[in-house]
Amino acid sequence: MIELLGWVPLLPFLGFLILVLAGDWLSKPLTPWIGAGSVGVSALLTALIGAEFLNGAMPPYRLVLGSWMTVDNLSVPFGFYLDALSMTMLFVVTGVGFLIHVYSAEFMESDPGYARFFAYMNLFVSAMLVLVLADNLVLLYLGWEGVGLGSYLLIGFWYEDPNNGYAARKAFVMTRVGDTSMAIGLFLLFTQLHTLDIQSVTIQAASQWTPGTVLPVAAAALLLGGAVGKSAQLPLQSWLPDAMAGPTPVSALIHAATMVTAGVYLIARTHALFMLAPSVQFIVAVVGAVTLLMAGCSALAQTDIKRILAYSTISQIGYMFLALGVGAWSAAIFHLLTHAFFKALLFLAAGVVILCFHHEHNIFKMGGLRKSMPVAFWSFMIGSAALAGLPFTSGYYSKHEILLAAFQSSPVLWTAGCLGALITGLYSFRLVFVAFFGSQHSVIEKSPGWRMSAPLLLLCILALLGGMLRIPLASVFPVLTAEENLHDFNAVSAITVAAPFIGVLVAGLFYLTGTFSPQRLESLVWIKQLQRFFFSGWGMDAFYNMLLVQPFKTIARLNKNDIVDSIYSGVAFLSLTFHRLFSSLQTGRVRWYASSMVFGAVVIIAIGWLS
Amino acid sequence: MNIDQLIALAPIMIIAGSAVIIMLIIAIRRNFILVNGVAVCGILLALLAVNFIWQENPVQATALIRIDVYALFYTALLLLTGLSVAGLCYDYFKERKEENEELSVLLLTALLGALVLVSSSHFASFFIGLEMLSISLFVLIGYTINRQNSMEAAIKYLILSGVSSAFILFGMALIYAQCGVLDFDGIGRYLMNQKDMNALVLSGVILIIAGVGFKLSLVPFHLWTPDVYEGAPAPITAFIATVSKGAVFALLLRYFISAGNYSYSPLLTVLSIIAVLSILAGNLLALLQNNVKRLLAYSSIAHMGYVLVAFIAGGRIAPALVVEAVTFYLITYFITTIGAFGVISLLSTPQMEADDLSFYRGLFWRQPWLATIFTLMLISLAGIPLTAGFIGKFYIFASGADASLWGLLLAVIIGSGLGLYYYLRIVVVMSMSVEETASKTGEPVQKKIATTILAVLTLLLLWFGLYPGHLMNFIVSIAATLE
Repeated sequence: MIELLGWVPLLPFLGFLILVLAGDWLSKPLTPWIGAGSVGVSALLTALIGAEFLNGAMPPYRLVLGSWMTVDNLSVPFGFYLDALSMTMLFVVTGVGFLIHVYSAEFMESDPGYARFFAYMNLFVSAMLVLVLADNLVLLYLGWEGVGLGSYLLIGFWYEDPNNGYAARKAFVMTRVGDTSMAIGLFLLFTQLHTLDIQSVTIQAASQWTPGTVLPVAAAALLLGGAVGKSAQLPLQSWLPDAMAGPTPVSALIHAATMVTAGVYLIARTHALFMLAPSVQFIVAVVGAVTLLMAGCSALAQTDIKRILAYSTISQIGYMFLALGVGAWSAAIFHLLTHAFFKALLFLAAGVVILCFHHEHNIFKMGGLRKSMPVAFWSFMIGSAALAGLPFTSGYYSKHEILLAAFQSSPVLWTAGCLGALITGLYSFRLVFVAFFGSQHSVIEKSPGWRMSAPLLLLCILALLGGMLRIPLASVFPVLTAEENLHDFNAVSAITVAAPFIGVLVAGLFYLTGTFSPQRLESLVWIKQLQRFFFSGWGMDAFYNMLLVQPFKTIARLNKNDIVDSIYSGVAFLSLTFHRLFSSLQTGRVRWYASSMVFGAVVIIAIGWLS
Repeated sequence: MNIDQLIALAPIMIIAGSAVIIMLIIAIRRNFILVNGVAVCGILLALLAVNFIWQENPVQATALIRIDVYALFYTALLLLTGLSVAGLCYDYFKERKEENEELSVLLLTALLGALVLVSSSHFASFFIGLEMLSISLFVLIGYTINRQNSMEAAIKYLILSGVSSAFILFGMALIYAQCGVLDFDGIGRYLMNQKDMNALVLSGVILIIAGVGFKLSLVPFHLWTPDVYEGAPAPITAFIATVSKGAVFALLLRYFISAGNYSYSPLLTVLSIIAVLSILAGNLLALLQNNVKRLLAYSSIAHMGYVLVAFIAGGRIAPALVVEAVTFYLITYFITTIGAFGVISLLSTPQMEADDLSFYRGLFWRQPWLATIFTLMLISLAGIPLTAGFIGKFYIFASGADASLWGLLLAVIIGSGLGLYYYLRIVVVMSMSVEETASKTGEPVQKKIATTILAVLTLLLLWFGLYPGHLMNFIVSIAATLE
């Protein structure tokens, strides 16, 4: 079964090709069968391969499908590499991806670009699968860029609105900053280690480089640049909230199964490099901690249901980075897994709310949906609980693991993580209380069909029980040392568990029972300003606008008449001047012609004599 | 004169004889088709004769004419060109009501002059050939006498040609005064024994260059070119641009090599200045030109400048190499020029020349094949790869680079850049959409012969552009015999 690994990314790609080439001729009912079906078969294959892989001794499996390029001492094969890490990613991408596809079949049904939508979605999934399966960094980069392309196409899916195009370009350009850094990192690795095969890079780096020296630090830092771009971490996070411009299933796919997890995967995949550069690894942790707090605060101030979820994603990826930074590799991947479940659940449930509620995004205009939309309500309850990390949900296990690991590394990071957990509880249940409790403002239009409900139910189960899944990542990552010799572990554990509850409690006091009034709080000037600051995502957009966009526009304006162009217009002017000069000699008069001949003859004789 | 010499003169005599026969036929009965048939037969017979007498050993037929492989090759080239022009003339003039038969006579005498030029090894035959060519051309240019331009052009050419002949004669006289001989080899022998440069000979040669420069329309003797090109009937313009220039150039090259003029560095300086000026002025003048015939006239000035670069390279590299480059370039230039003027003559009538650019607007939609042929000719003139023009220009570059003539090559590069602009401008105009109001052409005349000639030329253009090997090898074998 494992030999069929190549089909896993190939099938969605074939789906993409069929839909892109023949999409207009296919009948509408057939389209989702190809779009979702190809991913479904991939998911089935993954399940079979996974069963075989997990039952065995799990030796890493390599599959080379052919050579991509061979130049001198560089050879890049189409090679796949399957170990516990890529297996986990495969489950997430194909499994969650498939559920989102099924959901989309109904969600996008009335859209004229139905086939185009599935084509892009398939491309996106296929690229992500190549990314996680690649056995060398060049193929990984191919998938990496494919994901970037897919996200661009999908965020700008409704391209008639210029704002959507803007959001798509923003996502593409900002991640491109990170991609460039990553590409330079790859060049560095190749020039220094003469290989781009991930396993060889790991081995060579460990044997050739001394930890903490400039080469591993530079390499790890450059890869980190790529990772923060794709995973929307500080300082390249501001594209993600705008990426909400795409259809809701796209957001679910970007946030849960693909795209943003790519950065986490990259760092996990090249963890050996990061371990050789402890300073960079520490920066990873700091980036994660700061991002999770910043994004959490921003989520608090949002009113758009999708933007709240977007900021929560940035924040949760921050947790993963924190875990990677403190060396809790498996915890990071575990959180990636559970996050995929509950974030997909939340987004899809948000999609149901939006679709059935007049395409309304503002949570303050909803209210009381608890009764009219039981499926969405329970999905949100479960998803939010998992997001906040309330006990016995999947999020609890993964986040708990991260925070404990953080504490072992540095209490400061742990504090940040706990604070973040508190804020998470606060904003996630603020959303639930505002949108689903209280009085209903207007009636809903329709109820979701089975194709939307079934994925929600499945994801509910996964979000609840996903914590039980234990993919043995010990074969890939080094085990954390010193796990049990801490005495105050119970106290730490208790605080860790309690933090989200405090958040939920505060949210309840403000938005459920009305004990405290948010309006009174907002009447304070500094709170209002703080809220505005958080709302704008800590002013990052304005900051980039001032730092990059405005100077660029100024330069462009100054150079409106293109200085280089003036060279060419100068040439043209010169040519025309001489053209007129010579033309003026062309009088048509024979006497002038004859005398010019005589004159010319005299001159050339003179030249002949003188030279 | 022995029998070998007589046989060697066969092509020249056949052409001369055909001219006389046609004159007699006209005296008896005017028949345009018959007259053309005889002319074509004459040319074909001459070609056959060339094939027959083709041999390595040169034959000196009298003191004036030297029939060697070089002369025979150019004879064949000129005869083929004459054949194409005769075909174009036939289609151009066949609907004309006036008397057209003398045209064939004049065409043959002009061709005769050109044949004498390329075989000439003596100043006397040089001058006779040149005058025979020129005098025939005066009449040919003014043949469509009802068009005002035509007459004006003929008069201009007559007067200015006279001036240039005067220069040439005076130059010959100066050289004779110093050397005492008139044949090229004799002059070469005399100059070889001279230690110092002789002012009389130098002035003489420069005067000859001035006179020849007029025929080749090199700056500063180029002013007549656009007026005459515009005034002459399109097929005759093709004849002037190719046969007249090619023959004169072949003669100049033979004279320079035989008479040892390459060792005079002042001559090369003068020629270099003329070449650079011709390239720049020709291309610059063509830039905004809206009359296609004038545009091609200016471009021909530039093209003669390009060939001159290869010619000048003879001062530093082996003559065989120069002959190779010049010959190849002239062949490609002949093909493209006849092709371009052929398209014009196909679209023109003796009453109305299709020379305004607006006439070509939307030609791609009206006559796609013709427009395609014209485009190919133009991009070959521009020297774009896959056409013969590119290989020709490559030869110019190769010989210029061999001789380290960097300044001249720079001029060639600038000129080619400018050239692209106006050649492509015509192509752009041809592909523009056309307003239906412009359909003023009535019943189009069927011009099958001209069309066939154009098709053959296009095939040759592509063949020499894609597989220049055969032609190159052939030219190399000719150049090798000139030593």
